[in-house]
Amino acid sequence: MPDARRSRRRPVLKRMALVLIGLALVAFAGAQRTLTVAQTVDIPGFDPHNHGLTAVEAVITNVFDYLLFRDANGDIQPALATGYEQVDDLTWRFTLRDGVVWHDGEPFTATDVKFSLERVARDSSLFEHDSFQQIAEVEIVNDHEILIHTTGPDPVLLNRVSRKGADIVPKHVIDAVGWEGFSVNPVGTGPFRFVEWVRDDRVVLEAFPGHWRGAPAWDRLVFRAVPEDATRVGELLTGNVDIAVNFPTQDVERTRGAGAADVVSQPTTRIMMLLFNTADGKATSDPRVREAVELAIDKELLVEVVAGGFGVPVAARVSPGVDMAPMKYYDRNDYNPERAQELLAEAGYGPGDLTIALQGPSGRYPGDADTLAVVQVMLKEVGVNSTLESLEWSAYNSRIWGADNVENIALIGLANSLFDGWFALRSLPCDGAYAKRTNWCNPEFDKLLTEAEFNLDLDERARQIEAAFDIVAVERPMIALFQIDALVGVSNQITWQPRPDEMIWAFDIQPK
Amino acid sequence: MVPILLGVVTIIFVLLRLSGDPVRLYLPEDATHQQIAQVRSSLGLDRPIYVQYGIYIARLVKGDLGESIRYRNQDVAAIVMERLPATLELAGASLLVAILISLPLGTLAALNRNRLPDLLSSAVAMLGRAMPNFWVGIMLILFFGIRLEWFPVSGRNGIGSLVLPALTLGASMAALLMRLVRSGMLEVMSQDYVRTAKAKGLPWRTVVVKHGLRNALISYVTVLGLEVAGLMAGAVITEQVFAWPGIGRLAIQAISSLDMSIVQAVVILASVVVMVANLVVDLMYALIDPRVRYA
Repeated sequence: MPDARRSRRRPVLKRMALVLIGLALVAFAGAQRTLTVAQTVDIPGFDPHNHGLTAVEAVITNVFDYLLFRDANGDIQPALATGYEQVDDLTWRFTLRDGVVWHDGEPFTATDVKFSLERVARDSSLFEHDSFQQIAEVEIVNDHEILIHTTGPDPVLLNRVSRKGADIVPKHVIDAVGWEGFSVNPVGTGPFRFVEWVRDDRVVLEAFPGHWRGAPAWDRLVFRAVPEDATRVGELLTGNVDIAVNFPTQDVERTRGAGAADVVSQPTTRIMMLLFNTADGKATSDPRVREAVELAIDKELLVEVVAGGFGVPVAARVSPGVDMAPMKYYDRNDYNPERAQELLAEAGYGPGDLTIALQGPSGRYPGDADTLAVVQVMLKEVGVNSTLESLEWSAYNSRIWGADNVENIALIGLANSLFDGWFALRSLPCDGAYAKRTNWCNPEFDKLLTEAEFNLDLDERARQIEAAFDIVAVERPMIALFQIDALVGVSNQITWQPRPDEMIWAFDIQPK
Repeated sequence: MVPILLGVVTIIFVLLRLSGDPVRLYLPEDATHQQIAQVRSSLGLDRPIYVQYGIYIARLVKGDLGESIRYRNQDVAAIVMERLPATLELAGASLLVAILISLPLGTLAALNRNRLPDLLSSAVAMLGRAMPNFWVGIMLILFFGIRLEWFPVSGRNGIGSLVLPALTLGASMAALLMRLVRSGMLEVMSQDYVRTAKAKGLPWRTVVVKHGLRNALISYVTVLGLEVAGLMAGAVITEQVFAWPGIGRLAIQAISSLDMSIVQAVVILASVVVMVANLVVDLMYALIDPRVRYA
């Protein structure tokens, strides 16, 4: 009897097995190669000239193109422009790529470039306007050649047209649907075209077969917004996402131990800095006190404690890949507590005599509140007492940083989206954005910086920028603590090294 | 309803404008003064607060909820309304979880007063109330999402992804409701009419369900209605932990970035939801308690 039952079951099992094999084959043939990335925030829309966030550009850069493009090493490469030359002090000529089509099949032309760059250069309500107002006009020579006229000599125009905000958008689509329609249903020339956007959930893109670089390695690209650190880590560990950005330091060892993913670090241009209020009557008005504060901080130890070692101590706002940034200040820790105590004594402060206020944000940058707490302990070691005020970012911005209300020392993290040394100093002149926070003014510094802003002689410009950096290093209206590394969780199924500009350029990401 | 809404809108409008400058939050740390002034002016934030309020109310009457700073050029009403299904789905599932846990366990505890089932359910209730939402959520993710891989870790993708967030949000509510059922049942079961029902020889189930539970449910339903408002608050945290794209996520983001028109729209919506929930509770009374119906 059991034998008879078995014999009846066999054909059924056989058929089921055949069906399963068939299904697997169908699934395999139709398998889509999907790359899924978990970010902390969602995009606010696809208006590339009006978001102001690196994390947003990291997504939409896959849909649009710039005239020029930075590769993974930070070198400028041709993109929608195949060539460029400087015609005179105020004019640059760009030759545009032939045969590029928009995702809707229409050809890309010089009209689109004029429309895009002039919009961001002229509309002062746009978040990216500030970095493009140096462009006076885009003149169309013919369909594939343009002249960019600048308001003054602009040594960093190439940096401008290869960064966020310089994305080229299709005039014909925006004329038809307006920015309202375009923001939720964009058309670009990039390697991926738009499929779906569910706000605060996911952005779905698919490979655009007609892209001028060729086909990317992925059929679909999904960006998910997962704000909670533990959840993002969980999604990476279970293999639901291939890349998890803003990886928490404390989960690095656990993730590596689990074997499904690695955590890689990438130096960014963001530098954690302390700004001093040097106004008369403040304890920090004395340059010896400011120097003592810098010498009291063991930046190496600070990186170890607050960033798990993922960062580099620096003595100025410099990082690799930033043009003309004097790298003598990079990877430098001038910790010298004995000298700090001497300087304080010279300034008339014995141990415990001086109390200064430390203010900073909490939750804005990785380890920001801890950074200030560790600085407080290090200052105590050289006999400086301090009060500590760590506020949530919007409160800190409204009440202290943005309100020009720095008592003595304020913590801030600054990135360099223009990848230029001049850009790193541009807030410090006598009438600069930080003037009322630092109350520091040095006419020689201002002269050097103004000359560097418009100097097309790049060697001389580099010398001017370095001299300006040297003044800041001596007078210390601000001091730099360390460069932040971006930590990214990367699945073992893919090959990718994060980029210094924090773009998630999926075209370079390969499956293993 | 309209005066209440107007009051809520006015309070939130003033509070938001007292809480800082949103433009600075959107621009980089080293934005120039000129840039800040330009963006502020383009959003109308440079005008006196009473002018801004007048414009806002005039637009609101026409159904226009203003312009979002984050979602520029996009319809605020649509942005808020498209989140509603996700939050309602989560709130509904959480309510269901809370009811399915609290009714049987609460009844069981009352019927076994001071015995093991009662002590166990009291301990569970206390734990449920004491554990914060975000912690429960992360623990559920670690165990059921990562270790056992039974449910998706996060996101809103099918019924499976609803289980963990609904458990998280429903658990603490269930704990409170369970205690209510227990105390209500204890009170009702000692009433004369229950004794009469028992004496008549009615089946035990009929005595418990028809005569006991139904009368014990009056306070239960009141609290259930009040907890709907609590659900909206709890959803803020649960949605954040599970990357659930609902109103809570939108609210957190809008508040932390001072996106005023979105916050205002969310508050209006939340007020309407709470008012509707209260209305439903009133109607439910009539359903459960005939005295209300005939009064």
